[in-house]
Amino acid sequence: MRPEIKEYNYDWMMAGVMNMAGKVPNGTAKETALTYRYVPYFSKVARTFIESGEVGVQILNLFARYYGNVLGAHAAGKKIALTTFCFSPAILYAMDVVPICTEIFTALGGIVWRRGMFDYLDHACQIGLPETSCSSQRGAMGAYLAGLGESFDFVICDTPGVCDTNANAFAFAAAYLDKPFFQLNYPQNIGDHRTEGYHLEDYQAMVRFVEEQTGKKMDYERLAEVLAEVEKQDALIADLEDLHTLTPTPIPPLFNLALYAGKFTFSGNPEYTVLLEKMAATAKQLAAAGLSGLKTGREKLRACMFYIDHYTLNVNFWNWLSENGVAHMGSILSHHFRDNLDYAKALKGSAYGVDTSSPDAMLNSVAQMNARLPMVRSVRGPYDQPNMWLEETLVLAKHFGAECMIYNGTPGCRNTWANVKLIARDLERHGYPVHIMYDDAFDDRVESWEATRERLEEFFTIRGLL
Amino acid sequence: MDAFYAAATQIKTQSILDWKAQGKQVVGYTCSYVPAEIFHAADLLPVRLRGIETDGMEIGDAYYGPFICSFPKCILQLAGKGMFDFLDGVVITPGCDAMRRLDECWRKAGEDYPGIVPAYFYYFDVPHKAEAHGLRWFVTEIRNLIHSLEIHFNKRITAEKLRAAIAHYNQGRRLLQTLEDLRAQGRVPVSGTEVFAATVAGTVMPREEFTRSLEKWIKTLKKRPTPTSNRKRLMLVGSISDDIDLVELIEKNTNALVVAENLCFGVRYEGNEIPEQGDPVEALAEHYLGRSICPRMYGKYKERLGYLKEKIRKAGVEGVVMQNIRFCDLHGAENALFERDLEAEGIPCLRIEREYGPLIETGRMKLRINAFLERISIKEKNHAA
Amino acid sequence: MSIVAGCDVGSLTSKAVILKDHRIIASCIVKSKPRPMDSAAAVMEGVLSAAGLSMNVVEHCTGTGYGREQIPFVQEIVSEISCHGKGARWMLSSARTVIDIGGQDCKTMKIDAEGNVIKFTANDKCASGTGRFLEVMARVLGVEIDELGRMTDRAKTPVTLASTCTVWAQADVIKYINSGLAVEDIGAGINTAMAQRVAILVNALTPEGDIFMTGGVAKNTGVVSTLEKLIGRKIKKTVKADPQIAGALGAALISLEKINGKGRSTI
Repeated sequence: MRPEIKEYNYDWMMAGVMNMAGKVPNGTAKETALTYRYVPYFSKVARTFIESGEVGVQILNLFARYYGNVLGAHAAGKKIALTTFCFSPAILYAMDVVPICTEIFTALGGIVWRRGMFDYLDHACQIGLPETSCSSQRGAMGAYLAGLGESFDFVICDTPGVCDTNANAFAFAAAYLDKPFFQLNYPQNIGDHRTEGYHLEDYQAMVRFVEEQTGKKMDYERLAEVLAEVEKQDALIADLEDLHTLTPTPIPPLFNLALYAGKFTFSGNPEYTVLLEKMAATAKQLAAAGLSGLKTGREKLRACMFYIDHYTLNVNFWNWLSENGVAHMGSILSHHFRDNLDYAKALKGSAYGVDTSSPDAMLNSVAQMNARLPMVRSVRGPYDQPNMWLEETLVLAKHFGAECMIYNGTPGCRNTWANVKLIARDLERHGYPVHIMYDDAFDDRVESWEATRERLEEFFTIRGLL
Repeated sequence: MDAFYAAATQIKTQSILDWKAQGKQVVGYTCSYVPAEIFHAADLLPVRLRGIETDGMEIGDAYYGPFICSFPKCILQLAGKGMFDFLDGVVITPGCDAMRRLDECWRKAGEDYPGIVPAYFYYFDVPHKAEAHGLRWFVTEIRNLIHSLEIHFNKRITAEKLRAAIAHYNQGRRLLQTLEDLRAQGRVPVSGTEVFAATVAGTVMPREEFTRSLEKWIKTLKKRPTPTSNRKRLMLVGSISDDIDLVELIEKNTNALVVAENLCFGVRYEGNEIPEQGDPVEALAEHYLGRSICPRMYGKYKERLGYLKEKIRKAGVEGVVMQNIRFCDLHGAENALFERDLEAEGIPCLRIEREYGPLIETGRMKLRINAFLERISIKEKNHAA
Repeated sequence: MSIVAGCDVGSLTSKAVILKDHRIIASCIVKSKPRPMDSAAAVMEGVLSAAGLSMNVVEHCTGTGYGREQIPFVQEIVSEISCHGKGARWMLSSARTVIDIGGQDCKTMKIDAEGNVIKFTANDKCASGTGRFLEVMARVLGVEIDELGRMTDRAKTPVTLASTCTVWAQADVIKYINSGLAVEDIGAGINTAMAQRVAILVNALTPEGDIFMTGGVAKNTGVVSTLEKLIGRKIKKTVKADPQIAGALGAALISLEKINGKGRSTI
């Protein structure tokens, strides 16, 4: 790692960047323009958020707050958990634990800094995480395992059974720093009685683990409050998902990112509710006027990402979509599977509900909700089984009127790379043009954005889509 | 020993062909977490699926993506080529992500290569934790597997038959423990390659035949002359390995002797016997899930390290060779931790990433092993001085 | 007085060194031929003629390198990892960490005061992070390899390059050339990509003491200076000998140890 990187902690630097960026629009137009001149490398990404209006600024503030929470946790007497995106932090907030979502931290660093998370990614390899392991955890972990972040107190992941490389990275982090480790383990089915029971028992064990770590008993009244907030958020998400089905969709590509990044960081917290309200208001306005959420104002094509998105420098991918008239119809990350959603009704057993009538009911709700988060929901079993990757993708594609399907991931994703060729073949048979991206969503050094863009353009041109 | 070598170096072994000639059936499986006793109790021959004898990868690569370990790709390649045509059934497990996706890849390849998917194709969902509810899950999985085998193959798998199978497998476990004791001696009468061939053979031979041959072989080993040797005592750990060439490559260096290993297919937790009383399904579940840990169980690093250290001490290991197949993150990351913690205790370690199957590059491996042995020799010389 | 030799048959180049006691009296570098024995014969002939000696006065010769097992005239075969350790120690007595970037792989090692290797790591499989990577990239860029090295100093904004795969990096370079980017920025990006790969290996070893670099890439100033930045440490230089011959030199030093320690060894 370059010595200058070691001068400051990763989370401290990012908190500063996000804080400052969130304040830029408070100035006059002239002041804002001047500020951009002083931050040449950051100005593109700052512009992307700031120029997308109130929602963009709200996103910057949300992340500033997230980093701030981590930095202030220990001083506030709270414990910090290193955790993952497909584990909703709602239950941790209810237990007064501050989460570090590694994938969000990796994505944000990659979007903001010109050299991305390169130094941290490489540091993780130097201490032993294979370079073939998933970059989404590896970036943030590189920083935290180098001691360049607020030290975390324990590790929780819920990917054993679904994603080896994710679970393995968390097990490695715990062993490397000798921190307590808890894993939630997911079977290959979803929605059946036996599996649901297994999830619940797993969550009961997890609560005992967190209670041991914090020395505090679970406060079920607090959990009820958090779940009530989740209810509000789910209702707003349902509105947004409904608006997303309109043609043209009033949802700008960046909203997809905000929708899930907010959920992964602040589920059950009022901050996320405010963001959702702002997004819904903006989208409703656009919808009422019959406008597209794209920068170009004209929706030429509706594309569905059937795995994750692309998060490297300047949110290049998102800008490219918006500038080319491609509406982002969501990825595996941005759909929510609450039982009030139409597409969830089409997939029996795929959805969760929230029941706050008793402590057990609440815990069960959390267990079932988390089991419906991305990846652990539909990439857990054979891809062609009921409710799994293929069926879900087809249902979503139909529901949102997708015209083509795009896979993007990381070379670390053993799980999807082991069957993406199969699902791509099936999707083509169902009439969808499919493009498989070979880049790394978090590391431009695997394939530069220029090369990725060229391949995307080639796909859209050759298949006669744009 | 010849029988072991033959069984360890071929996919279609003589004993499998003889078994089939008797009109009996064969079931393949992919992971050490599958209790082979169940098949034995049903008079089915359990055969651990392997990736040797692959000479291309066009079928493996057609279904699997590029960033995948070559071991399951080799199995798929062999399946596509009809090399597993002796199978009447297959049990797939989530040993790791690449292995569990063999389920879909194999089935889909079956659409393009008719006849390669056995009539009995079963997904066995092994959990990743051995705590009470994990164990309960596993017990149910085993009972479901038994039930489905009974129906498909028209067999009765009774508790008595299971207990008898456990007792018979325990006999083999004790013999392997004897073999381990021989390897731990100052003068070792047996090479690592021979032992590895024997343990691999144990995963494909009918168990009675294996136990008989092993017993006989151990008797001859006890009488084998054992001259003093300057060979460095090595241990081999890491990713799945069913290829005796890997051990042979190490031992081709006349300064090296593999005296211990911790490998899927090799000796790993052979000393552990399964209780022959009580509920046999519960006994199997406890043994297979709880007492044979590999990194797929997550969060068990300290136990694994403790086990390795104990083995290093017992077998007088002077250096540990740690390998992982490219894209095997589980063993890759664990090897790095092992290296850190064992080197801190003065145990030289060599960590290498490799390919499996037709892509294997022996020159590179040889160089590292030679340099590693040179390093151990220098260390010893300095120590003596 | 002892005359010994070391012969290092690498994948890109073959090197030989003749020592008279501890002094280098001749060295030679030739491009490797398809068959290792031919490379060995050629480089040995070269070094002997440079020294004005014939093979029969060489008391002991050690072979090393990729083709080490096919050199007919050596008494001893030693891995190039051990040889580079010895060679580096001779070139810089304070060296305790050695980085050797060869044609097809990259190795880092820690050595003791005698040049014995006490720990090493090596890259695997892919050509990125090796001399071959630079050679391929220089060709795509249409410059000499030395010129590529000097580009880092002249670059303003080095490009980000796909560094995990040589084939993809090559595609990137072509794309950058076509889009009209400054050739220095591309060249510097290549050196950075290379340095990043190597830095992972160096840091994985937690370098101690003085760091010294052997192998041909040690002569690429762009890679070396970027690497220094990435690992936050200076890489020591020497004028005692060409770092590219370190392996052959180490082999010769091992020969010297052999005859001094055990007398003349026989085949």
